[in-house]
Amino acid sequence: MAKYIIKRFFMMVITVLVIATLTFFLMHAIPGSPFNEERGTNEAVQANLEAFYGLDEPLYVQYGMYLKRIATFDFGPSIKNPTQSVNDLLSRGFPISFELGMITIIVALVSGIILGVVAALRHNGIIDYVAMTVAVLGISIPNFVLATLIIQKFAVDWQLLPAATWSSPAHMVLPTLALATGPMAIIARLTRSSMLEVLTQDYIKMAKAKGLSPLKIVFKHALRNALMPVVTILGTLLAGILTGTFVIEKIFAIPGMGKYFVESINNRDYPVIMGTTVFYSTILVFMLFLVDIAYSLLDPRIKLAAKGGE
Amino acid sequence: MKKWGIFLFSIVMVLVLAACTANEEAGEEQENKDDSTQEEASAEKVLHMNNGTEPTSLDPSIGFNAASWNLLNNVMEGLTRLGEDDQPQPAIAEDWEVSEDGLEYTFNIREDANWSNGDPVTAGDFVYAWTYMLDPATASPAAFLGYFIEGAEEFNSGTGDASSLGLEAVDEKTFKVTLAGPTGFFLNVITNPSFFPINEAVATENPNWFAEADSFVSNGPFMIESWDHDSEIVMTKNEEYWDAETVQLDKVHWAMVNDVNTEYQMYQSGDLDVSEIPADLADQLIDGEDVHIWDQAGLYFFRFNVNMEPFQNQKIRQAFAKAVNQQEIVEFVTKNREEPAYGFVAPGFEDPNGNDFRETNGNLVEFNADEAKALLEEGMAEEGYSDLPTVTLSYSTSDSHRIIAETLQQMYSQNLGIDVELSNVESNVFLDEQRALKFQFSRSSFLHDYADPINALESFITDSSMNRTGWSNEQYDQLIADAKNEADEAARFELMYTAERLLLEEMPIFPLHFYNQVYLHNESVTGIVRHPVGYMDLKWADKTN
Repeated sequence: MAKYIIKRFFMMVITVLVIATLTFFLMHAIPGSPFNEERGTNEAVQANLEAFYGLDEPLYVQYGMYLKRIATFDFGPSIKNPTQSVNDLLSRGFPISFELGMITIIVALVSGIILGVVAALRHNGIIDYVAMTVAVLGISIPNFVLATLIIQKFAVDWQLLPAATWSSPAHMVLPTLALATGPMAIIARLTRSSMLEVLTQDYIKMAKAKGLSPLKIVFKHALRNALMPVVTILGTLLAGILTGTFVIEKIFAIPGMGKYFVESINNRDYPVIMGTTVFYSTILVFMLFLVDIAYSLLDPRIKLAAKGGE
Repeated sequence: MKKWGIFLFSIVMVLVLAACTANEEAGEEQENKDDSTQEEASAEKVLHMNNGTEPTSLDPSIGFNAASWNLLNNVMEGLTRLGEDDQPQPAIAEDWEVSEDGLEYTFNIREDANWSNGDPVTAGDFVYAWTYMLDPATASPAAFLGYFIEGAEEFNSGTGDASSLGLEAVDEKTFKVTLAGPTGFFLNVITNPSFFPINEAVATENPNWFAEADSFVSNGPFMIESWDHDSEIVMTKNEEYWDAETVQLDKVHWAMVNDVNTEYQMYQSGDLDVSEIPADLADQLIDGEDVHIWDQAGLYFFRFNVNMEPFQNQKIRQAFAKAVNQQEIVEFVTKNREEPAYGFVAPGFEDPNGNDFRETNGNLVEFNADEAKALLEEGMAEEGYSDLPTVTLSYSTSDSHRIIAETLQQMYSQNLGIDVELSNVESNVFLDEQRALKFQFSRSSFLHDYADPINALESFITDSSMNRTGWSNEQYDQLIADAKNEADEAARFELMYTAERLLLEEMPIFPLHFYNQVYLHNESVTGIVRHPVGYMDLKWADKTN
């Protein structure tokens, strides 16, 4: 196990490094500049700005500076918001995105699994139809449409909840609802189909024959195996949701880090692009690593060391 | 049939469940909200505004855009301030003398002009701030505005030094500026936040004084009470401000909501006092009683590339300009009450006789389908075209640009019988390619950096970074150069009138509509001033409870 973890750790570092390098050359390959504006720009002013951010150096020098910054995890000042460092932006935005993401994941997991299990147990019954209709709606309605709709209803028409911003628990209800619906639907459908499969297995019949209580059969025997596919997608889902979602954060004016992924690219804000990319890929590979660990806990037949290629 | 029943039932269930879960917590919030609004109502006048985003920077030399100016212009003040009539008024400077050749300005700073920490605002603070802005190491995007000052361009380009700048603190309250050339609108230029003073003592001790509320020192109508980055800035009235008795508001909350739909929904629910109009709702809302419209000095226009066929031909350029019905576009497409543009210089600039520039120079390009058709035929004959080369209209990716481009496409088909192709490009790439003259025919916009027609007209001198058409005309370059050196205002305006007529006769560009600023105001809000150039002002704003 320890050997495997060390090996995986090195793989993770290499993966992040490859992603970072690719991103660096891709972002410099796109035409455009962080100082492009519709207004005419003065040459001297432009030159001063480029010198200030080291963009007048040859690309290989910039790449060297960039690697140094990754190693020290200090990405320098943002070009768009020059009084703030990228580290400031990430350390301020990430906890908020993380908070929203955690609540969302918990809501999505709990409600998704319950819906899926209930639907599977009452296969082809009314509850199954209802649950799956909810799931289909959840998958097919984009969250930004749902967000605008629920703001209009809950905040404007009925005046029950605040429309936007991020300052009290009440402010979290609508964004969580908008954000959790999609993942909840995906989890519900996955749980349902794998539950259906598991429930026909011999060992479930065996458990029934032994006279175990239905609850015990479902939670102890069936669900544990049915959750494997859910765990598989959970890693990517977690990384995506925890690091913030551009659209939802924009609509609800949540000061998370989601917007930096999109806006930094539009602005060619190179330090922020590299900061968010390195940060996101680190989280992503780490989540995938956690998923592998979770596999072995859920299914003792999976041996991590063997998977590591020994 | 049965399936439909289940479907309907399930939808009802979703709504009921959603409503239930949300309701429990909702009630509490409602109470809190009532409490806080009641508290505010009894004691203070609190305005709720939206800045859209975190300001780029509150360093006056760095924050060179509306998101920074909205805040800076209300917490700080320069020598002059734009009044409610959009003209520069005495501000931190009580009065000033101008030398006869128009090159030397001596400002007398108010005795009672103080910083929010109690320090007096001194001439030294201005010398410090302006030198800092022009220092190449600061990399201020606004530095070019200071090039009117003697020695500034050399210093900022790295060929001169700070000691040769035409800035002098004669004594603590007397500040003398020497200009590089006569600049009739200098008092207007220095209303821009990049010319605000900086408290030298504070900035020397803490170079990042502008980054947080605690260290920020103001000298304007308001000061910064708290700054929750990316979420909210709260301003309170600055009692140290020399004209504090004019200021009516006690507090201003600035949200940072970067979505117009949400902004409008917050306005509807009473969380904001002011909002923009979502583009989709312009139709329904633009005639409302809560709509306020101000001019904005700038315009939406199109550029021809005069180095690419068929736009090397002047008549073909004129034909393409005259085939566009500007009035119809503002009425039925943008629907935002803009003024159609029949010239390049926006309304609102007065010559020394008190006449508006735009009115005086008249309509220089107007829709006329027959004339356009005739011009196209003449132009094609001149070039020996039997078929017009393919024309592609490029625009930066955005819904509003697309709709306008499609309308133009249709107008060209109808009025000239030409099929124009459309192409959209990501906006940052678009600007690069437009500068590199890779487009044949493309959209553009211009917003004034300072309030004088020369700012708009100098865009089209040869090789200006704003030219982007390949157009070069010696006579035009000369007219602009002469206007910049002309000390007599009447003669200067005459030169600019001639230049604009020449520009629109040659037609390397054609104007579509002038911009405006459209806002919804809660009926209890009065006195917000939005100037055509740049910034808005809450000094005179009030809110009745």
